[in-house]
Amino acid sequence: MTAPRANGHAAVHGSMKLVCVVNQSLKMGKGKIAAQVGHASVESFLRAGTTHPAHLDAWLSGGQKKICLKAKDEAVFAELKQAADKEQIPCHIVRDAGHTQIPSGSQTVLALGPYGEEHLDNITGHLKLL
Amino acid sequence: MALIVRGDLSLSAGKTAVQCSHAAVQCAFQARRQHARLMERWRRAGARKICLVADDLASLHRLANEAQQANLSYYLVQDAGHTEVPAGTVTVLGIGPAPRRSLDLITGNLSTL
Repeated sequence: MTAPRANGHAAVHGSMKLVCVVNQSLKMGKGKIAAQVGHASVESFLRAGTTHPAHLDAWLSGGQKKICLKAKDEAVFAELKQAADKEQIPCHIVRDAGHTQIPSGSQTVLALGPYGEEHLDNITGHLKLL
Repeated sequence: MALIVRGDLSLSAGKTAVQCSHAAVQCAFQARRQHARLMERWRRAGARKICLVADDLASLHRLANEAQQANLSYYLVQDAGHTEVPAGTVTVLGIGPAPRRSLDLITGNLSTL
């Protein structure tokens, strides 16, 4: 468990946000998307409590900024995950239980953060708003 | 956990998702402090969430009242108003995590989003 990295620029400053990227290839309905983004957000929030407490506090006290973007398919998720891991940005992929609408195990939403806005923009800047 | 969206606002899919996730995080935040065991149980069982729709603001307030009377944790999301709706607009009511039966008593007659 690593708290904020000690390599200089990573200390907690600037504004934090949580980015949720939705897999468009699954053609989920509005309610399904909302529930999946909810899963992603809650899980990121709970995990950040142990892995990135300072980022989490800054995010919670700074209005809990969230943003929803869209990606073409799971291949984009793989690229984002790789980029996030390289920068040590918290990343979580929601796999659906498959009770409704889509096959079990589908990757529905990828969440990045809560983390510094500029770092997130570097890896998600090319994606469109949902 | 039930996330109940106001149907009369006609929010976009992205806006709806963000507002629901505000409600979900806030409910989880409250539950972690006040109902830690229930929270763990819910999370381990897959953190089940459902999105429902209610007619209007009055319906959300009525449902929030019922949740309060049943001693269920709830949260009303007020939008900051950066986009789509004016600042302060109540968009989503989150209830739970709570046992399914108690939630169904309150939300059983709502349709899914």
